[in-house]
Amino acid sequence: MAARHRSTAWLRTLTLVFISMVLVAPLIAFLLNAFARSWFYPHLIPQQWTLEAWARILSPQSDVLQAMGNSLLIAGVVTPTALLVGLPAGRALGLYTFRGKRLVEFLLLLPAIVPPLAVSMGLAVNFLRWGLAGNWVGVSIAHLVPVLPYTILIFSGIFNQYSLEHEQQARALGAKSWAVIWYVTLPLIKPGIVVAGLFAFLISWSQYLLTLLIGSGRVITLPILLFSSAAGGNNLTIAAQAILFTAPALLLLLVTNRLLSTDAVSGLGRL
Amino acid sequence: MSSADRVSSRQLVLLLAPALVLVLLLFGGGFAYSVLQSLGWQPLIGRTTLSLDAYHNLLFAPAYQEVFWSGLIFSLWVSTASTLLSAVLAVLIALLIHQAVQRSQLWSFLFQFNLPVPHLVAAIGMLFLLSQSGLVSRGTAALGLTTTPADFPVLVRDTSGIGIIIAYVWKEMPFIGVIVFGVLKSLNASVVQAARNLGANGWQRFRYIILPLIAPSLLSSSLIVFAFTFGAYEIPALLGVRYPRALPVTALFLFNDADLNSRTEAMALSVLITLVTSMVIGGYLWLRGIAQRLG
Amino acid sequence: MRFKVWLMVIVISLFTRVAFAQESLEAPPGFASWDDVLSQANGQTVNWYLYGGSDAINGFVDTFYAPLLAEEYGITLNRVPVADTVDAVNQVLSEAEAGVAENSGAVDLIWINGENFFTLQQANLLYGPWAKTIPNSVLVDWDNPAINLDFGRPVDGYESPWSSAQFHFIYDSARIAEANLPRSFAELTAWIQANPGRFTYIAPGPGGYMGTRFVKQIFFELSGGQDQWLGDFNPTLYNGWAPQVWALLNDWSADLWRQGATYPANENEMRDLFANSEVDFAFTQEISGASVYINDGRLPETARAFAFTENMIGDFNYVAIPANAAHKAAALVLANLILQPNLQAAQVLPENGFGLGFGIDVSRVTETSDRLVLEESAANLGAGAADPAELAAALVSDLAAEYQTRVEADWEAYVLRR
Repeated sequence: MAARHRSTAWLRTLTLVFISMVLVAPLIAFLLNAFARSWFYPHLIPQQWTLEAWARILSPQSDVLQAMGNSLLIAGVVTPTALLVGLPAGRALGLYTFRGKRLVEFLLLLPAIVPPLAVSMGLAVNFLRWGLAGNWVGVSIAHLVPVLPYTILIFSGIFNQYSLEHEQQARALGAKSWAVIWYVTLPLIKPGIVVAGLFAFLISWSQYLLTLLIGSGRVITLPILLFSSAAGGNNLTIAAQAILFTAPALLLLLVTNRLLSTDAVSGLGRL
Repeated sequence: MSSADRVSSRQLVLLLAPALVLVLLLFGGGFAYSVLQSLGWQPLIGRTTLSLDAYHNLLFAPAYQEVFWSGLIFSLWVSTASTLLSAVLAVLIALLIHQAVQRSQLWSFLFQFNLPVPHLVAAIGMLFLLSQSGLVSRGTAALGLTTTPADFPVLVRDTSGIGIIIAYVWKEMPFIGVIVFGVLKSLNASVVQAARNLGANGWQRFRYIILPLIAPSLLSSSLIVFAFTFGAYEIPALLGVRYPRALPVTALFLFNDADLNSRTEAMALSVLITLVTSMVIGGYLWLRGIAQRLG
Repeated sequence: MRFKVWLMVIVISLFTRVAFAQESLEAPPGFASWDDVLSQANGQTVNWYLYGGSDAINGFVDTFYAPLLAEEYGITLNRVPVADTVDAVNQVLSEAEAGVAENSGAVDLIWINGENFFTLQQANLLYGPWAKTIPNSVLVDWDNPAINLDFGRPVDGYESPWSSAQFHFIYDSARIAEANLPRSFAELTAWIQANPGRFTYIAPGPGGYMGTRFVKQIFFELSGGQDQWLGDFNPTLYNGWAPQVWALLNDWSADLWRQGATYPANENEMRDLFANSEVDFAFTQEISGASVYINDGRLPETARAFAFTENMIGDFNYVAIPANAAHKAAALVLANLILQPNLQAAQVLPENGFGLGFGIDVSRVTETSDRLVLEESAANLGAGAADPAELAAALVSDLAAEYQTRVEADWEAYVLRR
């Protein structure tokens, strides 16, 4: 019995290693391309190494650092806003049933399943009319469109498994509403807040079409540069920029990794 | 679910209002514009009469219909295959990690590793790896299995969308997996043990205990993946070919056409894409509502 | 006596040409004079939307134009990278739809040509005509149909040239000897049949206008010359030769890369296929041929360029100013600056420039020192460049715009989807 356990455990580990390699492989390819010059078929290993892409990207004239600043600013503003708006909506959908609930769910989910082109152009024209285009504020507001469905979904899942008794007890003991929220509700759903925040950040971080159209070219973020470079076909530049783009998001993932393994994320499945 | 909890409708409105207002204003406004354009509204070039001509053109006019129908079939094929593969793999891997006693934290992190990677980067990564002169092909050449790029199978920029499917699976499988894994963690181990003691084998344990538990999350996350892949253009634009061409890519081409009249068809196509994904999601919500009322 | 008359005629025509050239410069619309432009431009920022995919071009603009603009004109250059010029066009269109006020547009200057230029012109969204009002416009050969027609449509002064390009080929001298190169489509056909799977071409269509040019050139060769194709779209002529062209391309299919089932969508994809030895030729339109890419490490050092003996389409690319641009004065100054001879000389060099050709006509440059710099540049295009004489001999202009639409649609219908 123990022997069979050991052999299946071994097989399991092997499978997991293989799958991890498959998942990581493209990123390794990027890492190599970011330092490789003239790397053509059939060479498996780059024969010329270079730091020129990094020198170019990190030089003071480069717009990469400014773009990263913009990306951080916008994602940094979108995340708390999405949490603030998504939490109450998710609470309503997760805790209660009411007439028209399915319609509300559908409406709030719609932005996540509609192709970006169908929304972005109209949004851009409206924002231009309202003076919201061409600045990071307008772009941040626009980012809420793809971000909100996911935060609402996550919170709805959290509150689905949430018991109101703690809040009721606190209120019975005489606590005011804001105290109940601050000392009871929020700590209880903290993992969910972290996950929802992570998704909000990631989605805002990787927005391209919205930022392009609403930003009017005045708001340059990392995806804008990346798409531009991708059109140019220089693998060195593309790989270096892709790494610079993915690294902060990956870091954030690392930091919140613990919490992603909990029930919090099952909320995503609770439509 | 505490559906019996009493809550005033005013409270409900307060909770939902900010989200609904934002979504209706921003999303609704943007989408309404697209619908209007799809009906022919283009004051910039002097068109103000509304009609369903663009939709008719897409479906039946010789100039568009072949691209539309072939694109529809292609997009449906790619989305379905990507979703199914992602779902199956996600469940398998989630189960594996769940059963791994040692270092499940590490495996679980490696699993989510590519969540922050944007789709464009994923597509480029696939090109680096899987093109006929890509890294894998160079590997097989080093091993003596192939001698020229032409010996290597066509995996990206192919007419069957294989490259697109691989890229989507690579990206979406962890998304579904993370969700399923989260549900698995809430599984009561003693229930499974009891089943094992009663003589249930692995497949039966999966079929009767695990599957029902993960089914709702699995189904809904899969539908999100289907809807997303059906409407996204980045990966098909980079990894696909001219014909057959995914619908969102065609929509973008039409939109950027020098003839501004084509924008009408572009928006009509976007609306049609939305119709398909809405039907899928809406259908699921409706069915789930029925199931809940029955069960 | 007759001689004296001749002399008089020559002197007078020379004199009037010079005087005419100086006096024909009106002020740009909305300005009193060029000095007025200069004084208004001082202190402005110019938002120049241009394709950002080329590090070489980005670097050139940042290194050569930006400091000059700041030091000599007090203008701040804001280079806005776009993945595709159509994004800048869409921005102007959206602003028009939203009713953004005059002089508040986000876009001041666009690097543009062809379809994109047509889109904005057709919607009346371009400022102008201004191209012949800037001082350096005297250096531009506006009589040349390759310049005053853009993808077959009249420029009418709504855009001003920046650089030129000509379709030709790249090959690897390590794989093919120069003597064995095909120099016509007939020879290419033979080469393809002798080397199955080693040739492909860019798919005519969105983003693939070089593929469209490739196919147009086949029309020229099969029909015996380009002259009959000039002027307005001629349906009889087109319909007469099209079946033969499609037949030829379909004949090639079996021997093409991927058996003609798929084709690279643009120049980058094709160049990558070439660099990785999947095919043996690439297309280019840079006067420096392969040199820029060799410097970048994107092509092997043995890459070289060559042209067919005839029918290699060449054209110009331009900068245009939207009608609602907020900083028209600065944009005009920049458009004038890029035509400056020493800067034009710098831009063709592969090592600091982007290897596209001159926008100005070298023979119109009067300053000897400028002339020398230009000629020296032209002689230093790098080993990867094709012989300029070859290119010049094969140069033909592009056609009326309708040919492009027809070729792209028909190729997809009769060759790709056959």
